[in-house]
Amino acid sequence: MSDKHILLIDDEETIQEVVQVGIEIETGWQVAIASSGIEGIAVAASQQPDAILLDVMMPEMDGISTLSQLKANAKTQSIPVILLTAKTQAGDKNLFQSLGVVGVITKPFNSMTLASRIATMLQWEL
Amino acid sequence: MEQVGDFSEQKLLLQAVFERSFEAIVIIDRALRFVEVNPSACELFGSTKEQLIGQSLADFFTSPLNLEGQDITRVKIRHSQDIIKTVEYSEVKNLFSEYNLLVFRDVTNLQRAAEAELHRQHQRVKLFSDVTLKIRQSLQLKEILHTAVTEVQRILQADRVLIYQVFANGTGMPISEAVLPDYDPILGVEFPEEVFPEEYREMYAGGRVQAIANVHDADTGLAECLVEFMDEWMVKAKLIVPILQNLKSPTDEHQSPDRLWGLLIAHQCATPRQWTNFELELMEQLADQIGIALSQGELLENLEDLVEERTTKLREVNRNLQQEIKDRLDAEAALRRSEEQLRLIANGLPVLIAYVDKHQRYRFNNEVYQTWLGLSPSKIHNCHLEKVHGEEEYQQIREYVGKALSGKTVTYETDIVLLDGCMHSLSVTYIPHFNERKKNVVRGFFALTSDISDRKAIERMKDEFISVVSHELRTPLTSIHSSLKILATGKLGNLSSKGQRMLKIADEQTERLVRLVNNVLDLQSIQSGKAKMNKTACNATDLMIEAAQTMQTMAQERGVKLFAESVNFLVWADRDYIVQTLTNLLSNAIKFSPPDSTVWLSAKRKRQRRTTVSKKSIPYITFEVKDQGQGIPTNQLESIFERFQQVDSSDSRKKGGTGLGLAICRQIIEEHDGKIWAESCVGKGSTFYFTLPAVI
Repeated sequence: MSDKHILLIDDEETIQEVVQVGIEIETGWQVAIASSGIEGIAVAASQQPDAILLDVMMPEMDGISTLSQLKANAKTQSIPVILLTAKTQAGDKNLFQSLGVVGVITKPFNSMTLASRIATMLQWEL
Repeated sequence: MEQVGDFSEQKLLLQAVFERSFEAIVIIDRALRFVEVNPSACELFGSTKEQLIGQSLADFFTSPLNLEGQDITRVKIRHSQDIIKTVEYSEVKNLFSEYNLLVFRDVTNLQRAAEAELHRQHQRVKLFSDVTLKIRQSLQLKEILHTAVTEVQRILQADRVLIYQVFANGTGMPISEAVLPDYDPILGVEFPEEVFPEEYREMYAGGRVQAIANVHDADTGLAECLVEFMDEWMVKAKLIVPILQNLKSPTDEHQSPDRLWGLLIAHQCATPRQWTNFELELMEQLADQIGIALSQGELLENLEDLVEERTTKLREVNRNLQQEIKDRLDAEAALRRSEEQLRLIANGLPVLIAYVDKHQRYRFNNEVYQTWLGLSPSKIHNCHLEKVHGEEEYQQIREYVGKALSGKTVTYETDIVLLDGCMHSLSVTYIPHFNERKKNVVRGFFALTSDISDRKAIERMKDEFISVVSHELRTPLTSIHSSLKILATGKLGNLSSKGQRMLKIADEQTERLVRLVNNVLDLQSIQSGKAKMNKTACNATDLMIEAAQTMQTMAQERGVKLFAESVNFLVWADRDYIVQTLTNLLSNAIKFSPPDSTVWLSAKRKRQRRTTVSKKSIPYITFEVKDQGQGIPTNQLESIFERFQQVDSSDSRKKGGTGLGLAICRQIIEEHDGKIWAESCVGKGSTFYFTLPAVI
C-alpha cells in the first residue's frame, strides 16, 4: 500500500474527522486538514500533497474560488483536486470539469470507500 | 158578315151605324163647318145637331186645327159648357169631293184613368223607395226588421205585421213585430213545428206567396191546427210572403240557391180582408229588400268578424312585435351589462389582456396596458404590433405571433422593465381565435400576459432552500454514514453481536435517508427544468448493460438472475438519466422478485403516431423491464407513478424504497418526449415499458 499524502479542505469538523479516520483506517494514507480555503491554499503550497479533497460550500472563500487560486498558483496548480459537493446538477458538473478538477464526489459519501474512489479517479494502485 | 144585297139596304145599314155609333162622326165642308153630325157627336160637343150644323169645327178646338196631320190625332176640345175634353180623331179623306168625314172618340176618361194609374204607381214606387231607404239605412239586423214591420203595418193598415224567422230544426219564432194595441203581441212565441210543417217550408222556399182573406174559408186549405193557432191569436186574414236569402258570397262565382230565412206576415184581426195585388207586391218587394239587407247585414257581420279576427291577429302580431322589441332591448341591455362587467373584470384583473387580429393589429387592450406599459388602449387601437412595441421587441415575439396565427396556442416567458422601472418576469400566452364557421381559419389571437415575478422569486427561494437543506443534510449524513462504516470495520474495537446488529440497522437507515434526499433533489431538479437533458445518440444495448452492471451486485445478493438483451438500436437520449431510469426500474424488479427468478431487460423498435410534437409517424424504441414478482393490481398501475405511491405502504420500509423512484422515471421519460407505463398480472409478474425516440 503506497504512502499518499492527502489534503482535505473542509470547514466541517465532523467531515474532517471521519474522512481522516476513514482514509487512514482503509489505506494508511496521511490526511492533512485545512478548515478554510485560505488555509488550504497555504497548506497545499507548503506541504505539496498528492491530492486535494476540496469542499465546494464553505464560508468566506468557497471551493470554486479556492480552486481558482490553487490553479492560478504555480506551486499548487499541478496538484490534482477532487471536489466534495452536495450539488449534483449537470450544469455544475460541467462547470467543475471545466475548472480542471479530476473528479467530483457527491455528499453523502462513505469515508470507508472514499480512498478507493480517489485511487480510481487518480489511477493509483491500492 | 152577310153580304148586303142592294143600295137601299146598305144605306139603311150605314144609317144605323151612323146613328148608333159610340164614336162621334162628323161631316164637314171645306170651310170646316159642320154639315152632318151623329148623336154621339152632339154629346161630345155638348150641342144639338141644329146648333152644330153650320158652326165651325175650329171653334171647339183649343189649339189650331190641323187636318193634314197624322192618321189619328189627339187634341183637346172645348165642350159647350166649357168642359175640356180630350179626343182622338181621324179623318177619312176623299170620301166626298166637297166634304170630309171625321171620326172622334172621347178619351178624356181613359186618360184620367191612365193618369190615376200612373200616379198610383208613382206613389207605390215612392212608398217602396222610402221603405227601402229606411230599411237600408241600417245594417243592424234588429233595426232593419223593426223598420220593415213598422212601415208595412203603417202602409197596409194591418193589425199586426211580423217577421218570423225559420230555424234549421223546422221551428221558428217571430223576431220583430208591429201590432196594434188592441191585440196581443206574438213576438217571441215559438211556433210548434206542426203549424209550420215541412211542405210549407218547401213551398215558401220556392217563392210562394200566400194571401188568405179569411182563415176560416174552406178553400184556403189551411190545416186545422193552424186555424186553431190563428184563432188563438185572433187572426182573421193573413198575407204571407217568404224572405229568401241568397247565400252567394262576393267571392263565389257559382250561383247559390235561395234559402228560406223567414216570412213577412201581415195579420188582419178585426175582420177578414181581401188583399190587393198592390199589397201583395209591396209585401213581396219588401221581403226581397229585407232578404238583401239580411245578406248585406250578414256580409257586414262576416266582414266585421273578419276585421275583428284580423284586428286580433294584428294585435297579437303587434304584441309579439312589442315583446320581441322588448326582448331585444332587454337582451341588448343584458349584453351591455355583460360587456360592461367583462370590461370591468378585464380592466380589474392584474393581467394584460389583448386581442390581435390576423393583420397583427391590436383590436382590444385592457386598461392594464396603460398602468403597466404606459400604452393607452385607445391610442394603440388598430396599431400594428411592431409599431406599438418597436422593432427589437417585435423581432423577439414575432415567432410566437406566427405560431398563434397558424392556429397553435403558445406560451413563453420574458423579462421586461415595466412603467415602475423594475424588471418583471412575464408569462405570455397567445390563444388563437378560430373562425366560427371555418374552423381551420384563424381570425386573430388573444394575448394574455401575467406577471410571474413573485412566482419566479418564490421558485428561486425554494431552489435556494432545497440547495441549502440538501447541503446541510448531506454534511451530517456524510459524517454519520462514514462514522458507522468506520465502526463497522471493527478496527476501532469490537462490538457485541447485538451492538453490531444495531450498527447495521443504523447503517441501512442512513443509506435510505441518503437515497431519499437524493431522490427529492433529483425530482425537484427535473421538474423545475433545471436538469438539462443533454441528448445524444446512445446505443440502447450500452445503456441496458451499464444499468445491469450497476445492479448486478444487488441481483446477486437477492439470488435474482439478470438478463439484458443485446440489440442494435440508437436512441436520442441523455445517457446518465436513461441509465438512472433503467437502474431504478431494475432495482424495483429485483427488490420485488423472489430468489431464483429472472429479470429481463430488452428493447424493441416500433412505430407510433405522435400527436404532441408532430403529426408525422416516427419510429421509437420501447424498453422493457420484466420480472416474475408479486405483480401489481390493475387499479394501481397508474398511481404507482405518482410521488410516494406504492402498492403496499409498508414497501418503503420493507424494501428500503423512497416512493419517488417511478415518479422520477416518468419525469425523465417525459422530458425525452416518451411514455412510461406498466402491465402486470398479480402473482405472475410485472413488465415496465418506456419509449424513446429512435435515431434513424
